[in-house]
Amino acid sequence: MPKNSRENLIQWLTYTGLTLAAIMATLPFIWMMLSSFMTRGETLRRVFFPKALQWANYVEAWSEEDFGLYFENSLWISFLVVGGTLLFSMMAAYPLARMEFRGREPIFVVILATLMVPETVTMVPNFLTVSWLNHVSPVPWLNNWPALTIPFMTSAFSIFLLRQFMRGIPGELYEAARIDGAGHLRFLFQIVLPLCRAPLLTVGMFTFIGSWNALGWPLLVTNTPTWRPIAVALQKFVSEAGPEVHLQMAGAVIATIPVLVLYGLVQKEFTEGISMSGLKG
Amino acid sequence: MSPALVVLGVFGIFPIGYAFFVSLHRWRIKKETVVGFSHYAKALGDPVWLLCLALGFGLLLLARCCRRRSDTTTQRLASLALLGVSAVLALRGFVGMCQTGDLRLFNAFKVTVFYALGTIPCEIVGALLLAYLLFRIPRARGFFRILYFLPFITPMIATAVVFRTIFSPNPGSLANRFWTLFGAGDQRWLQESRTVPALLLQGLGLSNYPSWVDTAFPSLALVCVVLYNIWVYIGYDTVILLAGLSAIPRHYFEAAAIDGASQWQQFRHVTLPLISPTLFFITLVAVIGTFKAFNHIYIMRTAGAQDTVDVASVLIFDQIYQYHTAGYASALALILFVAILLLTVVQNRLLGRRVFYGD
Repeated sequence: MPKNSRENLIQWLTYTGLTLAAIMATLPFIWMMLSSFMTRGETLRRVFFPKALQWANYVEAWSEEDFGLYFENSLWISFLVVGGTLLFSMMAAYPLARMEFRGREPIFVVILATLMVPETVTMVPNFLTVSWLNHVSPVPWLNNWPALTIPFMTSAFSIFLLRQFMRGIPGELYEAARIDGAGHLRFLFQIVLPLCRAPLLTVGMFTFIGSWNALGWPLLVTNTPTWRPIAVALQKFVSEAGPEVHLQMAGAVIATIPVLVLYGLVQKEFTEGISMSGLKG
Repeated sequence: MSPALVVLGVFGIFPIGYAFFVSLHRWRIKKETVVGFSHYAKALGDPVWLLCLALGFGLLLLARCCRRRSDTTTQRLASLALLGVSAVLALRGFVGMCQTGDLRLFNAFKVTVFYALGTIPCEIVGALLLAYLLFRIPRARGFFRILYFLPFITPMIATAVVFRTIFSPNPGSLANRFWTLFGAGDQRWLQESRTVPALLLQGLGLSNYPSWVDTAFPSLALVCVVLYNIWVYIGYDTVILLAGLSAIPRHYFEAAAIDGASQWQQFRHVTLPLISPTLFFITLVAVIGTFKAFNHIYIMRTAGAQDTVDVASVLIFDQIYQYHTAGYASALALILFVAILLLTVVQNRLLGRRVFYGD
């Protein structure tokens, strides 16, 4: 075989393989979209395309068991958790990356070690802590936003990622800022912060996804719909007596939209940030 | 940095000690009585067997050391004998623990191991292949990357719901439609508690197979969960590996090509060593991730699958949320934590040595 046509064949095979994988990756999404527009009867028969788009499914899913309320709760919870995580992690990552003090390395190792602790270990003690805080603090914690947000307002992963990035910022910048009379805090917020755009957006996106997915802990610390997040609603949707498939799919689509919108906004930085996390690990 | 330390300290580190305290008590909603280590004994069985297992592993390490140093035949034989003894000891300890401990815990560990073994190798090999292919194409790399990444960023609570319907026993479900294309009958998928080989044998009309076929393999429901998990994480691994590949300086490949290395040799001796740190990183993340997995499994579990998809975290959460036995649940959770720790250490020792960090 002449060399050129052999290379063409390889190229063609490569694209075919990649396209097949892409179909596998997106098929469940297509299935989700299509099913969410079907009638109940269509989901039970072997049809692939709905005859007419049933927009009413979305209206029905939205009103089913306070789904709308749960959705709004999730938005608030994620918003608070992301804001808190970004602020606190910045403030923790900076000294770990830039400042010299005793015990810096051990502190960092302990922070990283918390990555390995399963959520189930901390669940019971945290529930007890939160119940105690519920009694002593002026704001109730259980069935309220503090229990759902404050314990998650930082994470080892976000501190790690930000620290790795901040170590790459040249020390001369700090020297220059100090000569101009800026302290650590001012340097952090005026110079480091704008430089950390990509890792901050990555951490924000990760935290948002994590918070949006949380299921076990919210089940534990809430027992009324007032602050229950969307994960709980979806779990109720699929439990034995939940709504039918087309409504479940409509609910899944609704639950996906905010994350996809955010991803669309930060896509470039997020992919960059993720790639970086692996390179330096 | 103090707010972060307070949050991590109060809700991340302090609870480990507190969990240990709770695990020593009978604890339903409120602290009741001190029970000492009996929760651990209930979970792991007679401490004698645990000791037996630990001793076996200790001897195993010793035997390995001896083997490496031995030169003469007698020494080699002796170390081999030691190896055998330690293996028997460890095995006996393990069997003893299974017999006297909490069966649900050992089942959960079995499921977790199936889940990890099913997921991690497929995920990483698949991602390596995809990343390698992506690396070689001149166009549309970014487009494919976005598509592969979609499953990872989409909330798992939503995609788990979608996969529940894809793998539902309903004849209209995607899995059943695909399956019947090959002329096979409808399956119960996520509702199926029987193991895959058992299903195959029964499908062939053989019903008197040995009983271990029913327990020594993952159930079809668990295989569905594993497929789902591969689907979610393969894109993430691909993106990270692609970044690793792109970071390799081009002239290494050129030099290898000039020296006459074939594509495979280039891959094996240039690419693979140079991305081994990245591979190590994603393996570590994947192992910790599978042992902590909870949300999507909690959504994908069905009554029909019985306990064949209940990984350790699900079992522990049930103890807390359904049975309100916080003390016992904490003991189980700490056992899981220790298992993860040991695994990470072993992984670091075994794999970490093979990682090539350059000079």
